[in-house]
Amino acid sequence: MGSSSLIVLFFAGVAFAAGGIAAARFFVKGTKNRQKGEAYECGIPTSGTPWNQFSIGYYLYALIFLIFDVELVFMYPWAVAVRRIGMPALVEIVIFLFILFMGFLYAHKKGALKWM
Amino acid sequence: MWTGIMVPLRQELMVTLILFLLLFIKVGASEYRTGTILRLVNILLLANLVLGFFPCPDATLFNGMFHTGRLIVLEKNILNLGTLIVSLLAYDWLKEHRQALEFYMLLLATLTGFFFMISSGNLLMFYLGLELSTIPLTALSGFDLEKKQSSEAALKFIISSAFSSALLLFGISLLYGATGSLGFDAIPRRLDGSAFQLFAFILLLSGFAFKISVVPFHLWTADVYEGSPVAVTAYLSVISKGAVFFIFIQALYTVFRPLAGNWNRMLILLSVLTMLTGNLFALRQNNLKRLLAFSSITQSGFILAGITGSSRAGDASVIYFILIYIFSNLGAFGVVSLISAQTGRENIDDYKGLYAANPLLSWVMAISLFSLAGIPPTAGFFGKFFLLMAGAGRGNYVFIGIAALNMVIALYYYLRVIKAIFMDSQPQPIGKLKIPLLPNIAFGLCVAGILVTGVMGWVYDYIYSLSIGF
Repeated sequence: MGSSSLIVLFFAGVAFAAGGIAAARFFVKGTKNRQKGEAYECGIPTSGTPWNQFSIGYYLYALIFLIFDVELVFMYPWAVAVRRIGMPALVEIVIFLFILFMGFLYAHKKGALKWM
Repeated sequence: MWTGIMVPLRQELMVTLILFLLLFIKVGASEYRTGTILRLVNILLLANLVLGFFPCPDATLFNGMFHTGRLIVLEKNILNLGTLIVSLLAYDWLKEHRQALEFYMLLLATLTGFFFMISSGNLLMFYLGLELSTIPLTALSGFDLEKKQSSEAALKFIISSAFSSALLLFGISLLYGATGSLGFDAIPRRLDGSAFQLFAFILLLSGFAFKISVVPFHLWTADVYEGSPVAVTAYLSVISKGAVFFIFIQALYTVFRPLAGNWNRMLILLSVLTMLTGNLFALRQNNLKRLLAFSSITQSGFILAGITGSSRAGDASVIYFILIYIFSNLGAFGVVSLISAQTGRENIDDYKGLYAANPLLSWVMAISLFSLAGIPPTAGFFGKFFLLMAGAGRGNYVFIGIAALNMVIALYYYLRVIKAIFMDSQPQPIGKLKIPLLPNIAFGLCVAGILVTGVMGWVYDYIYSLSIGF
């Protein structure tokens, strides 16, 4: 045992991964055709190129959603513990909400909520 | 109860306060003048720096998550000083920028992250601080909104940071599995040097090595430094690196002390590799920012050489060197930043004949580069001297010899820049540049720091009296 076992593990890991890929290279006879690239029983057939541009406004909504999401997730454990801790917990959650609210105001000021 | 928390946390609170003040201005005011705001922020940062010098008791808060003491306050003061200089230097670039306020919000968020990281007493807190600083830093490196190169730098930076964070987290989780604890005081008691623990340590070390751009993990450095706005590059190379070095040396000297025999050899190897690779790549650079990036990799190698001393002198020399490194590197980056903001030229060839029209800038650049190279009257010499002395404390004379040889190689490319500035000429030299007041103050601070810090022996003595080692 000792560090030699780690080295063995490392090489075994590399050999396992590389061996699988190499075996696939050797034994699999690959054919390419149109049907192979299509989604099989999962989703609708694709149309158009994936390289076209789309609006980034979508991500802004996701980010703002995250503000409220994190806020709520954090408030559940707080709600459980607030009776036991008392006043300091109330002050701290107000600070926390205030910080998040500032972030929201900033996003609003920047026009992140306007659909473009 | 509140003063018990407020006094030890005062530096973090002050930075957060400034951040929120800026946010209020951004959200509340419909009209503001960027120049006024920039001056206000610099005054606030100065106040922040001064606040750090008030005495602070040793304290441990939040169940050992956060601890502070005189050494940590000193380290935070050094970072505050560096941030103030970066902010002064950025004035020329920011006054034209549409989002100067956001720049400061992100900058101060990273600074808060670094403070929490340095003060952390728990690996989770350390990781939180690191991420709090890394994510805004990425946004900062993409802050030249019109330049594609800047976005490229941000993308490269976030991918490599994500990778290093993954390594770090894997290391943390393995370490937790091996020792059953995440607290800095409990881990060393359960370290016995088994292969499993060493593996966890190596993963942690790799995560650190990414942040301080030590050689096998340095590949992001040059591209990110080149693409980012110069002020951000300066911040990355000095403050970010310095902060990670502070916590790195603390972790090695206290948490991983039982593994000292192992990490000592690793660090010597990494240090030699880092110095050599950084130097050899720096030799052939033509873009000044890339050159400074590789020079900063080399300096990381020298700092590692000091860490291998694993004595109080090692700790003291690293902190002392980072203080000096802030002055010398920011001086050099300041000149690059000013010239880049006013003319857009960043290559060494563009600097030919700079002395004719801009003697002041040329001298600041020359003194900073001499200090980076470690030429005697400047502070850089004393910094390197103490680092090598600390490294030699364990009797690794061959290693110290290699480090000394590397200082000679480094001299070549620093002198190449100085030769271009003072001796060469070109058909279209850079004309006379106007230096605004704030960058002028920063240049004054840097040059004064470089010339005076080395001579004042009490600076090193004070740091030495606070340092840790074994």
